[in-house]
Amino acid sequence: MAQAPLYSIEVKGLSKVYRVHEREAGLAAALRSVFRRRYKAVHAVEDLSFSIGFLGPNGAGKTTTLKVLSGLLHPTSGDVRVSGHVPQRREADFLKRITLVMGQKQQLLWDLPPVETFSLNRAIYGISGPAFKATMAELEELLDIARISSKPTRQLSLGERMKCELAAALLHQPEVLFLDEPTIGLDVSMQLGVREFIRRYNERHGATVVLTSHYMDDVAALCPRVIIIDQGRLRYDGDLPALVRSVRPHKRIALRTSAPLDRAALERIGGVLELDPARAVLQVPQDALREAVGHLLARPEVTDLTVEDPPLEEVMRELFSHKADEPVTAGGPEEKDA
Amino acid sequence: MSAFSRALQAYPTLLRVGFAGALAYRAELLIWMLTTTMPLVSLALWTAVAESAPIGRFGAAEFTAYFMAALIVRQLTGSWLVWEMNMDIRSGSLSQRLLKPIHPLFVYSAENLAAIPLRALLCVPIAALALAAAGGERFQAAPAPLAIFAAALLGAWLLNFFTMALIGSLAFVMESSTAVFQLYLAGFMIFAGYLVPIELFPPALREIAAVLPFRYTLAFPVEVLIGLSGPRAALRDLAVQWAYAAATAATALWAWRAGVRRFAAFGG
Amino acid sequence: MTRVRYLRLLGTQLRVSLALGMQYRWEFLLDGALTVLFAFIGVIPLYIALAGRPPVGGWTFERALVVVGWFTWLKGILDGAVNPSLISVVDRIRQGTLDFTLLKPADAQFLVSTAKFELWKLVDVAVAIGIFVYAFTALGRAPALADVALSLALLAVATLVLYSVWILVISAAFWVVRLDNLTYLFNSIFDFARWPATIFTGFWRILFTLVIPLALMTTYPAEALLGTLAPRTAALAGLGAVLFAVLARAVWKRAIGRYTSASS
Repeated sequence: MAQAPLYSIEVKGLSKVYRVHEREAGLAAALRSVFRRRYKAVHAVEDLSFSIGFLGPNGAGKTTTLKVLSGLLHPTSGDVRVSGHVPQRREADFLKRITLVMGQKQQLLWDLPPVETFSLNRAIYGISGPAFKATMAELEELLDIARISSKPTRQLSLGERMKCELAAALLHQPEVLFLDEPTIGLDVSMQLGVREFIRRYNERHGATVVLTSHYMDDVAALCPRVIIIDQGRLRYDGDLPALVRSVRPHKRIALRTSAPLDRAALERIGGVLELDPARAVLQVPQDALREAVGHLLARPEVTDLTVEDPPLEEVMRELFSHKADEPVTAGGPEEKDA
Repeated sequence: MSAFSRALQAYPTLLRVGFAGALAYRAELLIWMLTTTMPLVSLALWTAVAESAPIGRFGAAEFTAYFMAALIVRQLTGSWLVWEMNMDIRSGSLSQRLLKPIHPLFVYSAENLAAIPLRALLCVPIAALALAAAGGERFQAAPAPLAIFAAALLGAWLLNFFTMALIGSLAFVMESSTAVFQLYLAGFMIFAGYLVPIELFPPALREIAAVLPFRYTLAFPVEVLIGLSGPRAALRDLAVQWAYAAATAATALWAWRAGVRRFAAFGG
Repeated sequence: MTRVRYLRLLGTQLRVSLALGMQYRWEFLLDGALTVLFAFIGVIPLYIALAGRPPVGGWTFERALVVVGWFTWLKGILDGAVNPSLISVVDRIRQGTLDFTLLKPADAQFLVSTAKFELWKLVDVAVAIGIFVYAFTALGRAPALADVALSLALLAVATLVLYSVWILVISAAFWVVRLDNLTYLFNSIFDFARWPATIFTGFWRILFTLVIPLALMTTYPAEALLGTLAPRTAALAGLGAVLFAVLARAVWKRAIGRYTSASS
């Protein structure tokens, strides 16, 4: 069983307010301040909120971490605090501020339409009438579920169920969203839809989203900040593009050719990853990219050329093949720290 | 007490949705209902036995009254919580219940109560008619016993529910507590007077039955309903019943909390 | 060696062999204890109804005990051989792993039926025989050998019927996936097989002989052992059981067919 990592995660709502004594110029003011002081509130940190994604190979502890953060699992040691609460105490106040969406286990009542689950959650979370109506309207619009939410859950398709599941999870306007593999099993268009929804919801409400996913596209699309954990240990905390650049500061060039290319010739341009009569894939460092592309386009056999980042899976594999204790610093050869 | 009052506020919705759920899963409801109509079979049995000669105070009419009352009480106080808890714990869907800011036992209780009207709807009117017809002389419609009956019924439901919660919580530590439940049911069948009125037991067993809590989940309300106990004895028994219910509730809540901690320590 | 040291050695030996066989002995012991307990508890209503009272439908308490004996034996077969396998089927349907069973090149019904046995339930047979011994001692005679043979044959018939009922119940699982309560219902009804079926009259007797053949399962073997079963009835029972088994298999095949042709 994976050990829960030792974390302290700051989430939304962290504010620090100082009461500062207001000083005014002048004798009169100085005299006045002897009798009555004026205070001004200074907000040092306000409403810090963000999206972070958990990346890691299977067994790294992503789902475990989410379960610890939501209070379902007790850490063996260490401190966890979410929104100022200790999750494992499962205080009602804490539970009202979070939501956990698990791809595999749903909260929608199976034999009843989703509207009944919405109604149930409304009562359980104590949502007022107007708030409920407003939230419902917004979610229906964002998720396009008005037509399907009155059908029994068991009659809905997987994608429709996921959308209603998200609606049920967000009715109480939680500040922190834990999403465990939310796009698993969905087809490509549905994945895009869910990703888009989460992005827009986050924009509108500024909630903190903590996401685990196997799909790199989920993380790349949604998470400006990424935390990498491997064997339950923190390996990286920063933004994704910088990570990619530092781990694999290469670009890939994919070619389609009308006639086979000579391997030796290609190797002068860059590392040859794949080569067969009709296509080739080369790996080229960032700074040598322009030159390489120029060379390749000049060759008559090249009919099509695309430049890509290396697949995230490969980046991850490379990252996790490093020694366990090495932290990864962001920043490629020319980039500054993100 | 604010957690409790919040749960109370949510209760009507919980009941309503529970009712809708019971309606939706009609097949399952039907089967639960069928299991609690065993008193009808018992009745057929005992009226056949009593044909040659009554047993103790019980002739055909008395048996009819008893088993019809047993049917009514069983329908109104029965709970299948052990099965549900075992399933939820094994499948892990208990996690969803734990994420809500309301105690899962509240929700379970609402689901149980919500199903009662449907279950009762089919059996209880018929049983009540049969009861009135057969046990005319015994049935006291005087207000005092009826109020005691209501209290006894509620006490029986509470005792039953929390016993189920306790046994269900064993599923946190065992692979499945349904085996323990079978054991409990065996005890219940006899010592709650479900299969045969306790009054007819041989003396030694009668003593045992009087002490065990099983009696208070069925036999006691039945005896009150058909007038087998006088009001004073009934009041004393009522106190014992509610004492048992309170003790069981406390134990069940403790077992639940301990179980959830274990559930969370080993992977929800 | 002194007597004390022998005793101590004996004690150690016992402890060692107990520990070695503990794995299954524990189950045997526990189950034996439980079966005796349940048998005793189950007899209480019968005792109240029949002991020291005029016989009902020709049944005295001692004769009725023979029915209880067969009930205990059959329950042992049910809980030890039939239930464990078939309950695992329900689990597999729920989890979707039944597909693996269906892909194997052997008959699915056979595979699911023989998946799991709980051998310690054999103790129940011992308890049943104990009940027979008691009953026949009280009756003051021993059963004729022919009667024993016939009753065992009827036990086989009873097992077949019980098994077929279970197959029908499991086939229902393909439609109604939540089956805990169905098995509970089955067990509740089966519990009434403790009683001689001919105590019931009219509607109930017909119900328990033809529709839910409890009579077949316990009363007929008991009557056979007591030497009061008409051969014609025995033959009809056998035939009925076979027909029932054929019906059950047909329903099972239909259920499987429906399951495999349904899309996920």
